[in-house]
Amino acid sequence: MDGLDKNPNMRNSQTAHPTTESAVESAAAPELIGLLTHEDVDRARDRWEVAQARGKGRSKSFGGLRLLWLLVGPGVLVFLGENDAPSMLSYSADGSRYGIGFFIPFVVLTFLMGFIVQEMTVRLGAVTHRGHAELIFDRFGRFWGFFAMGDLILGNFLTLVTEFIGVRAGLGFFGIRPAIAVGGALVIVAGAITTGRYWTWERITLSLAIFNGLFIPAAILARPDWHAVGHAMLTWMPLPTGGRYQILLLILATIGATVTPWMLFFQQSAVVDKGMQPRDINAGRFDTFLGALLASVFAIAAILATVPLFHHGINAADFQAAQFAEALEPLIGHAGAALFALGIFEAGIVAAIAISTSSAYAFGEVFQTGHSLNRPFREAWPFYLTLLGSASAAAALVLIPKFPLEFVVLTVNVIAVLAMPPALAFLLLLVNDREVMGQHVNGFWTNLAGITVTVLLICAGLGFGIATVFPKWLGG
Amino acid sequence: VLRLKVAWYGRGWNLTSRYAGVRESQQALGAMDVHSEQLTLQDPRAVLSLLEADQVVAAKRRTHFGRKNLSVGTRVLLWCLRVYVVAMFVIVAISVVQAIRSAH
Repeated sequence: MDGLDKNPNMRNSQTAHPTTESAVESAAAPELIGLLTHEDVDRARDRWEVAQARGKGRSKSFGGLRLLWLLVGPGVLVFLGENDAPSMLSYSADGSRYGIGFFIPFVVLTFLMGFIVQEMTVRLGAVTHRGHAELIFDRFGRFWGFFAMGDLILGNFLTLVTEFIGVRAGLGFFGIRPAIAVGGALVIVAGAITTGRYWTWERITLSLAIFNGLFIPAAILARPDWHAVGHAMLTWMPLPTGGRYQILLLILATIGATVTPWMLFFQQSAVVDKGMQPRDINAGRFDTFLGALLASVFAIAAILATVPLFHHGINAADFQAAQFAEALEPLIGHAGAALFALGIFEAGIVAAIAISTSSAYAFGEVFQTGHSLNRPFREAWPFYLTLLGSASAAAALVLIPKFPLEFVVLTVNVIAVLAMPPALAFLLLLVNDREVMGQHVNGFWTNLAGITVTVLLICAGLGFGIATVFPKWLGG
Repeated sequence: VLRLKVAWYGRGWNLTSRYAGVRESQQALGAMDVHSEQLTLQDPRAVLSLLEADQVVAAKRRTHFGRKNLSVGTRVLLWCLRVYVVAMFVIVAISVVQAIRSAH
């Protein structure tokens, strides 16, 4: 893999501590100078661009904008990646079953929860320069590490399957064969990582992710009642009515569409790979806020695009992606339906890239192999093979005839919510750990917000469990 | 000695780190002006000036945040959450089986 593994000087483990000391001024600098890697040089190049923008920012008005342009990425990617195929289908189910009402402000609330959680990963990554999986293994040991990884791998794989279902269904609307649609998506996933450069990968994926906005024109074509939207935002009314179990399931799926374990692992690793430092934390916060804002707007657009199904009394209880688009066609026109189908395809492809990368980062961190998109294939082949292998396996499953795809879609967001509380517990323990975070530990309000989100998720999960085991309690 | 050859596709030139492993510069490492446009990444001191001490891959390899001493309360919390997740996954499996049965 690389020469570092064979270097005897690198085998002696020392205790890490949070520092902002420049590498050139550290005691180990003379030794490090001979051990620089591709990854270091590429990361330094990114830092150089940031340093120059920061220097110009003091003198020129556009310097600040350039700095933001350079530092924006992981936050926008993680939130637009989480606006994935099953998430957009959950939002569509909200709109088609209950119309404009409770779910519109509820979606905003879930993204606020997402922002609270993801901001912590920015700080963790920027301060420690370690990925989430690596920190959990370091601080809690292998037992708890594999516990966290088990949930992540299961959730990631099932979610990846649903992304390829979205790709297949989205392109299916245009008459494209499943094998061509899924194969093409795999080629795009592979193409994004062939650059051997985090920055290029990030910009390619960001440029794909922005097409999540296709749901906005689809929503406009659905001619939403803006007065009702404003009323719903202010009053959370009307509340959903009908089967309480179905409502609870949809609430859970909507939460699962916004806060999931892979997001924690992905954003922290991406922050590290991008080379962000403690001085970039505010820019990272802005990046995360921008991502949450864009994703919530696009999610609301997906709800609004499918509201005509609610008004026409079309039962969308068991709809999949292509069926939503087909059902919408006579109501919002071919262009609107095509935009919706393209949006589902885009959501699937971007999430497939982000989630497979999240799995690969975690694998590399746990097994201490190269885990950076700044590394060429020969230096980090286990990382790239994990990325491509997980995507290929998920894609292959989607092509198996009679595979119960609908059940995977049904459960994936629910599993994400159920696996989230332990992931949040590890996150909160790490971000309150002064030996790891130094002065950047959580404050009172961030802890209160984080604990509130965790308790809400546990309650939602328990509600789901009770409703499943004792359906009569909820009138199911 | 680790040889570095970095192709910078964006600007179309190749960088070969001839400085990797150079020992004579070990005695005089000083921070460089990272805001300078004249900085060249062929000089490993520039690379080290731009990165934080524990951001260099080799430094990260040998430093680890050690194991945290978990309090009894923390252990109980983690075990409760472990049990919660396993129980919930069993419930998800039950609901999936129920859904499959009703579909057939």
